[in-house]
Amino acid sequence: MTATTNAPPTRKRSHGEQAAPPGRRRSLGDLKVAMIFLAPATLGFVVFYIWPTLRGAYLSFTEYSLLSAPKFNGLANYERMLHDSFFWNALVVTVEYVVINIGVQTVLAVGIAMVMYRLTKSITVRAVILAPYLVANVVVALVWYWMLDFQVGIVNQGLSWLGIDPVAFFGDSHWAIPTVAGINVWRHMGYTALLVFAGLQTIPAYVYEAAEVDGSTEWKTFWRITLPLLRPVLVMVLVVTMIGSFQIFDTVAVTTQGGPINATRVIYYYIYERAFTRFDFGYASAMALVLFAILAVVSLVQLRLLRAKESDLA
Amino acid sequence: MSVGRTVAWVLLFILLIVTLFPFYWMLRTAFSDNTQLPGHPGSLLPVESTLGAFKRVLGLSTIEEAQAQGGSGAAVNFWLYLRNSLVVATITTVCQVFFSAMAAYAFARLRWPGRDKVFALFLAALMVPPIFTTLPNFVLIKNLGLLNSFAGIILPGAFMTPFAIFFLRQFFLGINRELEEAAMIDGAGHRRIFFGLIIPMSGAPIATLAILTYINSWNDYFWPLLVGQQENVRVLTVALGVFRSQTPQGGPDWAGLMAATLIAALPMIILFLAFAKRITNSIGFSGIK
Amino acid sequence: MTNISRRTLLKAGLAALAVPSVAACNNGAAARGDGEIIYWLWDSAQLPMYTECAKVFHEQNPQYSVKIEQYGWNDYWSKLVTGFISDTAPDVFTGHSSKYPLFADKGQVLPIDDYVSRDNVDLSIYQKGLADRWIGNDGKRYGLPKDWDTEVYFYNSAFTEAAGISTEQLNSMTWNPQDGGTFEQIVRRLTVDSKGRRGDQPGFDKDNVKVYGLGYGDAGGGDGQTSWSWYAASNGWKYSEGEPWGTKFFYGDPKFTETIGWWRSLITKAYMPTYAQAKSGVDVTTSFGAGKYAITPNGSWMLGTYGGLKQVKTKLARLPLGPVGKRMSMMNGLADTIWAGTTRRDASWAWVKFLGSQTAQDIVAKAGVVFPAVAASMPAAKAAFAKSGWDVTPFLEPVEAGDVFAYPANPNAADVTAVMTPAMDAVMSFEAEPASLAKANDDVNQILSANS
Repeated sequence: MTATTNAPPTRKRSHGEQAAPPGRRRSLGDLKVAMIFLAPATLGFVVFYIWPTLRGAYLSFTEYSLLSAPKFNGLANYERMLHDSFFWNALVVTVEYVVINIGVQTVLAVGIAMVMYRLTKSITVRAVILAPYLVANVVVALVWYWMLDFQVGIVNQGLSWLGIDPVAFFGDSHWAIPTVAGINVWRHMGYTALLVFAGLQTIPAYVYEAAEVDGSTEWKTFWRITLPLLRPVLVMVLVVTMIGSFQIFDTVAVTTQGGPINATRVIYYYIYERAFTRFDFGYASAMALVLFAILAVVSLVQLRLLRAKESDLA
Repeated sequence: MSVGRTVAWVLLFILLIVTLFPFYWMLRTAFSDNTQLPGHPGSLLPVESTLGAFKRVLGLSTIEEAQAQGGSGAAVNFWLYLRNSLVVATITTVCQVFFSAMAAYAFARLRWPGRDKVFALFLAALMVPPIFTTLPNFVLIKNLGLLNSFAGIILPGAFMTPFAIFFLRQFFLGINRELEEAAMIDGAGHRRIFFGLIIPMSGAPIATLAILTYINSWNDYFWPLLVGQQENVRVLTVALGVFRSQTPQGGPDWAGLMAATLIAALPMIILFLAFAKRITNSIGFSGIK
Repeated sequence: MTNISRRTLLKAGLAALAVPSVAACNNGAAARGDGEIIYWLWDSAQLPMYTECAKVFHEQNPQYSVKIEQYGWNDYWSKLVTGFISDTAPDVFTGHSSKYPLFADKGQVLPIDDYVSRDNVDLSIYQKGLADRWIGNDGKRYGLPKDWDTEVYFYNSAFTEAAGISTEQLNSMTWNPQDGGTFEQIVRRLTVDSKGRRGDQPGFDKDNVKVYGLGYGDAGGGDGQTSWSWYAASNGWKYSEGEPWGTKFFYGDPKFTETIGWWRSLITKAYMPTYAQAKSGVDVTTSFGAGKYAITPNGSWMLGTYGGLKQVKTKLARLPLGPVGKRMSMMNGLADTIWAGTTRRDASWAWVKFLGSQTAQDIVAKAGVVFPAVAASMPAAKAAFAKSGWDVTPFLEPVEAGDVFAYPANPNAADVTAVMTPAMDAVMSFEAEPASLAKANDDVNQILSANS
């Protein structure tokens, strides 16, 4: 391939800095080459991201059983959603799950990160707490399903050893969602802790030294200094984990399948049921669209609320 | 040592136990005799150690043996599912990393009009929740006649993910321009630069991305559940779900189930042990997954 | 140069992986001959006898052959639905009353009326009422009956002997929703607490029960086939105004709610385990086999499972006489249905016709796993069960007396279940009162009227 440089390199340019294009002749730059490099990714992007988004929106206005062609039915699906108690139940259950999951997970993650920061930076410890993240959601769900069983699970054995009555973690409609949330906390807390831990590393030592000189206690230092400085990291962690949390499916699918008494029929699972077991694909698409809208709003609100100030270090 | 530090060490210790115990419990149950399990729920060691569960799950025991042990007797063959997971994860990783690297190069090292706007568009795709693209993707795969095939499972993820492009672009941006310019003076075209210079220099982040992608693909459940029902393309995660619900007349075959989850989890654990340092360190500066 | 070899390696690796994946892309469906049909069933216990049927079928019709595939219950239905969606469903598959109406509604099963009249299939050979169950809501016939089932009580004879209860007593129980009749008395006697005191003895400790008199597996959903259906029916209750294919259900009827109220009261009195316990990881038959329950009601398809419980000597007892003066049992039956999208219609019909014939059902009867639909094959089945130690008369009596009622089939069965299962679960776990079933019933009727 012949050389395609457009201008001789000058030593004045530093790392990453681009030279100013000197004229119209170079305004296309490397477009042709770029198109070749971008071709597969763009193909994937258009076919599997853009097109489905548009088609999903279209399907939400149809009646579609997957067995025959979609039939346009206007706003019928959305009207149905308004009166569908299962849909509203699914939203409530999902929000319940997200609040418990994210709340507990974030608190624990910060706590773990703080403990590790003070005690040890050992790679072994960090690797161990990351371990649950490496195995699949379904694996985690099944192991805990076995451990939390009402009659033969080890956890209830331990409880009865302590003199506490056994708890039907998955069978009791009041415990089911917190249990599912707890399982996912177990899987993600190490990972989230490492993210926060990395954030802690970016806080310069002089800040703590200054606080110590001022006579601040550990607790006060944490609240007044560490936490605010962690804000950018925490914001990112919260936004991304929350979006992931709304899409809980795997754990429910292999343990409770929406029960007991609809206590774990989260929105993702309800959409799946409607689309793939009830031949109700159009309605499921409508619900997916609504979920998308909700997530977009939640993320925007979050970013706005929590990014009131950028990093407080300045 | 202050009280605070002692408390902290105790907490850390508890954390490590809580993290590791379920893995041990998986092991302990997988090596137990399934029929004896309900009688000894609290025993910390395997109950009547046996390899029966593994034999059942790998399709090595007869129907009578399986049913005598409390299994369902239905044909299960986790070797096959293991192979399927390997195929899906490997092809997905190779394709995804390769194509994403190409795209990242275009965004990081090439200059062309509208580049940053297009990049922002790709990033925006990160924000779309998978559920919204999954349903129509299913319809697309069905219309292409690719249901129950490896192609159907692999295709949507094979070309790129916004995260992979973002991740690699960050690294490519940091590569020393002068090397590139020197190569260009020598007459190298972009293809030579990409394959001969950028890729070899980015060995570390590419390897990290490949590992992360492999893990995610291996652990994926929802998409293979929809598209890969048939035995010959069924992956481990989906097979686990099926195994769990195989005895509707009875409770699950717990020992067999734990043996199956062990088989599903083991490759990832091995991968992790081999690359623990790299994976753990990548969590920090890769930012948010 | 290192970079070229790396690329070559990459390409070689991709190629090596592509080969098996491309090979696996082919579902193998194209390799079948015109006369080879694929047949699905879910019960692994029935696999041997149907394999035998396939052999005889092939001998009688050498131009046709059958490939049988078996999948577990949940997997079976989800694969079937995927098969419909992707046009790769099996040619013939076992159908169930709760599922086939929806498939018929969506045009996925083939009506066989033309075939039946063309070949003059004799529908009188089946047990009374069975053939008509497979006439859908639209009046078309979708399958030929292949087996049938009813419910009885499976009880632990060691426990009943120790309690001094005779077989005559067990087989002449009475029941009513107010005090449970002699049935509840027997259940009470069979319940034993951890100190050995029986339910009808002073000092019985409700909080420490070792053996429950009556066991159950779930709250029954909308059909209660193996949990409460016969109590409600013998109380004079009907599921819906048209049986089957009702469009108005009666779950709010006092005759039903008082039945459920009585059933639930057994938990309060500690003769039955709590809902949480019943639904946990050890199922009802395993618990029965471990000696936790004295009596469990179940269907005739479970005879093999109970037979495999080596630690208990299980016997069968008739369901109790209810307020209407009869012993009633639900009678359900399976049939084989043909996929509407099959390209091998003649072969599929030939197989279905064969399975509905006495030849095939004699083979089924001899296996001693289920009751054949053809009445003439019944004696062989009775004998086969007797060889395994079962006297199956209690299953047969309601059928002979005509005191049976149908499974509540409905094209909207999934919607009904989606409402009734959580409603019943809520009642049985004491989160709602039986009166709440009236509201659930309204929801059900609303769904049905919206869909019709």
